[in-house]
Amino acid sequence: MTNVAAVLMEAPPIHPADQVDDQTLVTAALGGRAEAFGTLVERYDRAVYHLAYRTLREPEEARDATQEAFFKAYRSLRTFKPGAKFSTWIFSITYHACCDRLARRKRYSNEELPERADPSAGPESQAIASDEAHRLRAAIEALPEKYRTVITLYHLQGCQYEEIAQVLAIPMGTVKTHLFRAKEQLRRILSEDAAGVSE
Amino acid sequence: MKPYDSDDELERALFALPLEEPPADLRASILAATVYRAPLAVKPWEVWAAGVLCALLTWLLLLVVRGGATPTISMISVYASGALALFAQPQTLFWIAVGGGAALWVSQLNLTVVPEALRATRR
Repeated sequence: MTNVAAVLMEAPPIHPADQVDDQTLVTAALGGRAEAFGTLVERYDRAVYHLAYRTLREPEEARDATQEAFFKAYRSLRTFKPGAKFSTWIFSITYHACCDRLARRKRYSNEELPERADPSAGPESQAIASDEAHRLRAAIEALPEKYRTVITLYHLQGCQYEEIAQVLAIPMGTVKTHLFRAKEQLRRILSEDAAGVSE
Repeated sequence: MKPYDSDDELERALFALPLEEPPADLRASILAATVYRAPLAVKPWEVWAAGVLCALLTWLLLLVVRGGATPTISMISVYASGALALFAQPQTLFWIAVGGGAALWVSQLNLTVVPEALRATRR
């Protein structure tokens, strides 16, 4: 009993991971506490994978891009500017990793990259398209790459145009335009889809 | 099926959309490549130094095998005196300093850029 009490007294105070902000975790990781970076990975791996998957549309490549992004972030953690948002930084690294992969794909493939995915997929995808979430996902996948990425970041980060502009390295006005057009196209695809089913 | 006529309706649907499910072992593999990665037993410069030493020893061995010990020693002394004469010149030292300084400066630059072709399509 005494031993348990002694261990508990000596144990470091437990803070729920969500209460510690990203900046503190980055500082801790830079100070040699590698597990702090582990908490950042736990916090953002799903969002980063989501962005990579939406940009690349290939689960295997998205997985590799996610790994690459975190590896680059870990190696260049010292270049992270204090006061910046970790999410914006990691999304930016991910986006650049995806751009490199898309460029490589374009270079080594004789075919042009499809600007739009084929919305009239096989019977299997038609069956799951009845589900609203799947329908929306399919519509997002049918968007051109630049609109798809903006919509994905908007979905991940809320309405913060400035952060999306930072991640994509484009002016804020362009972000707004892309977002407007993306939503317009999404609505059109979804209403065409709804009309097609009801006919 | 919803046609999503209004902006609000579409936005609500977008925000309600769950994120893609990553592969089960993704987190473990990221952590293994970063946080739990074993530190290198040797530093990169030590690998380079060992490589250079090995190359020099191989070269010497080949010289000895091909021409015997005496010509090899005389050849090495010629090379060594030539190298010493070269490094004794202030001009050589100046250019080495310039090259080293430039390499150091370039290594400090942040050269992460979006490929131009991709950037152009984004505007």
